[in-house]
Amino acid sequence: MTRAVLGLFRLWILLLLLIGKVIAGNDFDYCLLCHGANANGNYGIRAPKISGMEPWYLSRQLENFAAGVRGTPGDDASGHEMGPVGLRLRQEDALYSAVQFIGQLEPKRPLPTVRGDAAAGRKLYAACASCHGVKGEGNAALQSPALAARSDWYLVTQLKNFQRGLRGADQRDTFGVQMRAIAATLSDDKAVTDVVAYINTL
Amino acid sequence: MSRTFTRRGFLELAGSLGGSTAVYRAAMGMGLLPVAARAARPVLTASGKSKKVLVLGAGISGLTAAYELNRKGYEVQVLEASFRAGGRNMTVRHGSRIDETGYPQVCQFDDDPDLYFNCGPARIPGHHLNLLGYCKELEVELEPFINDNRNAWVQDDAMFGGKPIRAREYLNDTRGFVAELMAKSIRKDALGAPMTADDWDRLREYLKQFGELDPQFRYIGTSRSGLAKHDYTAPEVLKAPLSPSELLKSKFMLIMSFGETDDQAAMMMEPVGGMDRVVAGFMRKIGHLVQLESQVQRILVRPKGVEVTYRREGRYITAQADYVLNCIPMHLLAGIEHNFPAEYSSGFTAIPRGKLFKIGFQMKERFWEREGIYGGISWTLQDIQQIWYPAHGIHRSKGVVLGAYTFDPVAGEKFARLPPAERFKLAIAQGAKIHPDYASHVECGVSVAWHQMNHMLGCAAQWDEALFKQWFARLQAPVGGHYLIGDQVSYHPGWQEGAIASAHHAMADIDARISAGGTQVVRS
Repeated sequence: MTRAVLGLFRLWILLLLLIGKVIAGNDFDYCLLCHGANANGNYGIRAPKISGMEPWYLSRQLENFAAGVRGTPGDDASGHEMGPVGLRLRQEDALYSAVQFIGQLEPKRPLPTVRGDAAAGRKLYAACASCHGVKGEGNAALQSPALAARSDWYLVTQLKNFQRGLRGADQRDTFGVQMRAIAATLSDDKAVTDVVAYINTL
Repeated sequence: MSRTFTRRGFLELAGSLGGSTAVYRAAMGMGLLPVAARAARPVLTASGKSKKVLVLGAGISGLTAAYELNRKGYEVQVLEASFRAGGRNMTVRHGSRIDETGYPQVCQFDDDPDLYFNCGPARIPGHHLNLLGYCKELEVELEPFINDNRNAWVQDDAMFGGKPIRAREYLNDTRGFVAELMAKSIRKDALGAPMTADDWDRLREYLKQFGELDPQFRYIGTSRSGLAKHDYTAPEVLKAPLSPSELLKSKFMLIMSFGETDDQAAMMMEPVGGMDRVVAGFMRKIGHLVQLESQVQRILVRPKGVEVTYRREGRYITAQADYVLNCIPMHLLAGIEHNFPAEYSSGFTAIPRGKLFKIGFQMKERFWEREGIYGGISWTLQDIQQIWYPAHGIHRSKGVVLGAYTFDPVAGEKFARLPPAERFKLAIAQGAKIHPDYASHVECGVSVAWHQMNHMLGCAAQWDEALFKQWFARLQAPVGGHYLIGDQVSYHPGWQEGAIASAHHAMADIDARISAGGTQVVRS
């Protein structure tokens, strides 16, 4: 009798574990819901391409969202939406698994949407190149993500967010604080679109 | 002041208050425009035998299409991304899962047939004949829904120091004031043709009735605004009219006619047990055709037919069909791989997504009934905007109240960024301005931020006249065998009747193409 009860109990635990696994598996499909097929981005809801992003960069940003280091200022509506996602992914190894999941997807180069003066942008890009690389390939040693083949409208949004203090204002965001200072050197909206237009050529 | 009151003048006045639809409707009322014939359920003449149809999304439009096409012999499969069918037709009750990105919730209401909350559509007007027709056919039992209640409250911090007043007081005291003002200021000689001097007298009589003015055309109060007390052993005492300048301070004037609009006026219906009984009715007939948890990743229009790839349990599966009827929200479709021509797919990101937000509270006592409120809506100019009282389960011990329903995207975002417990706290604090002991009655709550709900990420598409002009015809027309459907492709977004109309339109087009024996050509 006791053995039967024990057996049932074990079966129950196994079932619970299995259900837990299935739910976790489906959770990552949710990334694709916003960020699009293969996480190549969806301008329709302002969700950028995250496919092909460096795992260390993705982890750091998810942590930042979860900790409220990023996405908390009032005007950053899209950033707000990521906050609770980051919080949920903090449970156990979900964040690691999510980053792995994104890593398995097929990145596609997005079509350019930003129009600017790429030649003018090229000069401005010199300030970016020291950290993000002359080809926009990024630099893991400096924790600088690649900029080439990202959603260009998203680069514009983020540069403006840095300028307006919607990102990089929290002192815990060491790299964001650096980026905020650099973004401030782009004197106006034209400079922002020009530099992104140049990044589109990389 | 020389004010003319010609027919044209009236139309201009109506236009300035209600936009061009008001002019259009007023003109229809005056017999200047023909009344459009109602679109009936299309008669499908062609047989669907050996034709395969994929329906993307099991919302009301998708279910309608699957139900009708299945009956005509088409081979139908419905792919739905969520764990549940229904789309925004969603009712939660004891144990229901609310699948919000980041903030998943489980409904903690008691297990009781009256304790449910309609998170999406919640009312059916009597002229939504297609939906009502399906309710009848699918044996979905309906009961009266109370939308407008003159005993409910109006609260605005801008008037009377934030103290709530009964809706009947706001409506009738402003009417009385306006009627008196108009009766005193309209001059006989200022009426243009076709108004005659006799009309002037009739108009003044009308105004007297409109605002319940006294024989001297003064507004001194009306029982329409309620009695000071309902003691029927003593003579009636009217409430003193409220100060017009105080009433006019409130922007409630912009929503005071809500319950008189085409879709909101009595008589309205709701399904017994929750709006999702409509979904259950469809699912009883075609549930076996619906495959859940299948998220579409790619749509390729081929010279003949359409190819769809979806993700299910971590695997990619590809299916072919002659026709695809697609009710995936356009703002999500924009992120799916496809080979649509840009002049079509650019429309997906052109129409903003709605950000409507709702809260439902289980109340341990139906305290509003003690205030003489049975069903209907209290209005406030705070973020929560509305409190709805259930029209069902009257005089039972508990009830589910709608504690917030915001139309304004700013308010929607404000609630959505808070964790559910904080949303409830905010809604309770605001509700307490209407019902002082509100907090003590709340047992548990549910919140639905439609722009964060998985597989929707938005409420009704936010069309405006310019967008309709630029995009509607293009998005309604097919690309090869691919049809966009849903309330998003109707002139009635946000209503199930619009969703059904879009499905009917697409089916009729497919039927005509098959009947004509036409070959399918990709438009570009």
